[in-house]
Amino acid sequence: MPRWAGPPDALPSVAGGGDGQRQEAAPLAVAARRATGRRSFSTRRDRRGIVFVLPFFVLFFMFLVVPLAYSVYTSFFTTRMIGGTVFTGLSNYTQALGDGAFWTGMGRTMLFAAIQVPIMIVIATFFATMFDLGVARFGGGFRAVFFLPFAVPGVVATAMWGSMLQTRVGVFVRIFEDLGLPDPNFFGPGHLLGVIVVIAIWEWTGFTVILLYTALKSVPRDVVESAIVDGARLGRIVTRIKLPIIRPAIILVVIINVIGALQLFTEPYLLSPMAPNISANYTPTVYMYNVAFSAQYYDLAAAIAVVLAFIIILISAGFLLTQRRKGAIV
Amino acid sequence: MSTVAAPAGPAPAGPKRRLPAGGDGVPLRLYGASRRTVNLVTIACGLFAVFTLVPIWWIFVSSTKTVNNFNSTFGFWFSRPFVLWSNLKEVFSNRESGSFLQWLANTAIYASIGGVGGTVLSAMAGYGFARFNFRGRNVLFLFIMGSLLIPIVAFAVPLYLVYAKFHMNSTMPGIFIPFMISPVSVYLMRVYAGGSVPRELIDAARIDGAGEARIFLRIATPLMVPALVTVFMLNVVSAWNNYFLPFIVNNSAKLYTLTQGLQVWFWHTNIPGSTENFTVITIAAGMISILPLLTMFIVLQRYWRGGLLLGSLTG
Repeated sequence: MPRWAGPPDALPSVAGGGDGQRQEAAPLAVAARRATGRRSFSTRRDRRGIVFVLPFFVLFFMFLVVPLAYSVYTSFFTTRMIGGTVFTGLSNYTQALGDGAFWTGMGRTMLFAAIQVPIMIVIATFFATMFDLGVARFGGGFRAVFFLPFAVPGVVATAMWGSMLQTRVGVFVRIFEDLGLPDPNFFGPGHLLGVIVVIAIWEWTGFTVILLYTALKSVPRDVVESAIVDGARLGRIVTRIKLPIIRPAIILVVIINVIGALQLFTEPYLLSPMAPNISANYTPTVYMYNVAFSAQYYDLAAAIAVVLAFIIILISAGFLLTQRRKGAIV
Repeated sequence: MSTVAAPAGPAPAGPKRRLPAGGDGVPLRLYGASRRTVNLVTIACGLFAVFTLVPIWWIFVSSTKTVNNFNSTFGFWFSRPFVLWSNLKEVFSNRESGSFLQWLANTAIYASIGGVGGTVLSAMAGYGFARFNFRGRNVLFLFIMGSLLIPIVAFAVPLYLVYAKFHMNSTMPGIFIPFMISPVSVYLMRVYAGGSVPRELIDAARIDGAGEARIFLRIATPLMVPALVTVFMLNVVSAWNNYFLPFIVNNSAKLYTLTQGLQVWFWHTNIPGSTENFTVITIAAGMISILPLLTMFIVLQRYWRGGLLLGSLTG
């Protein structure tokens, strides 16, 4: 561990005295800072900032950057039972990209993201602004309730919804039955994706509300107050002041959720024994898992991971760029 | 429209008819929110709250039932006999594909290390990014944030392959170290430190001769408490709830996380209409697995409300 603490060695020489002189030295140091300009006072200190960042960065590098680099590397090789590992260039990629199985899953997750993310963002933004302005009664209580699903692992959430919706004994199916309606067959091809959308919305909306709510809270109060003095009403304050200010936060939330949605795995994987429609390539991640661990084609799985990451980056970056063109982000 | 509203001062006391004060302390009346708006929004909140609570209510009710009642009685209400305690006992004594207690302990270990480690690392990094202008700061920050664009699933199989080289698959550190790395936390910490730790205060401390570590621990950290608590919670929760990463890098039942164990149990039970007692045991186990996080939320709730300390700087 480097020594950050210790004598104030980086202070300008004016202030360099013993402990006893600290009090007297302070005004001098301030004067010196004013004279020499703030920059020169702080540059030497600033270099130490790297020390604060380093511990995180080392782990980040070892456990995220290295594996990713390794997967790119290994995706250029192919391991055969006979013949060992040989460099095969892009053949894993041509196989992954030429594979209809991959694209079927990709199309499905994109559809999923295109449905789930907008619905959730709209709901979450609505509640977040209402809580922020204190429009809802019992706002604190509702906030806490909405946040509850965040405490529920995706595995448990899926198991709960799966059990509630399952054919014959599921509680919802039995309610349909009592009403004299036919079994809606929630896990049939028509409803399955919808079920997963509902599960995902249930899991993530409350968390998104809290993220946006926190962002809204950081909007300076005087901005809102002066708008009120100018006679702006609730709707205007939300759409013209609050939301534009937190736009970067909204964009971040959208991107995080799109990325999450495109990685869809836990929900379909857990439901697969109940829902025969969930195939081995239902989503790209399910497919990658099966290629890696059922078929044991690790190199091909690595190539699929790279392609998937690439597509997701492309989509996110594309989204960021369109937002930037509108002149709204950092 | 241009009627000048009184600036938000002490609201004139309208003894009983007052609308609640807004979230930022501004009386709602000043926003022009009518009683009707308040009621409609409250109803919308209520509906979403029902949607949120339905599965939680169901899991609680179901874990009090025998498997026969689970299959035959109304799912959202209790039925006799009330067997919650024996179900819970079964959860802990059942040895089906591993021990639930073991999984609970494992998950507690992973989540606390991931939570504490992740909070410390990201608080330091966020503070470093927010309050120091070192060379390469922006590049480094963008690099770290860039990783947010890369799906975690893209790391999982590669991580497994790299772990294979270092014999880290199916080991505890192999499971919990990734939990400590959270770029989102670094982002939150940077934003929060940027807003709540004034440069003037840091400079003043430096002039008074405090070292950087001391400034971080004694001045910055207390000001960042709401962010620290929030990030700690985020990290604990994401570690506790994570399924995919342990699922890929660990296949030892002894080191299973709760989610891994529950998945195995769930798959074991979910033949529709299964009459195995195990069905309700799994449901009860699912309920138990939620409780620790719920408790944590309730305990920590008052710390993570809002930008609490933003005001204390000027006061």
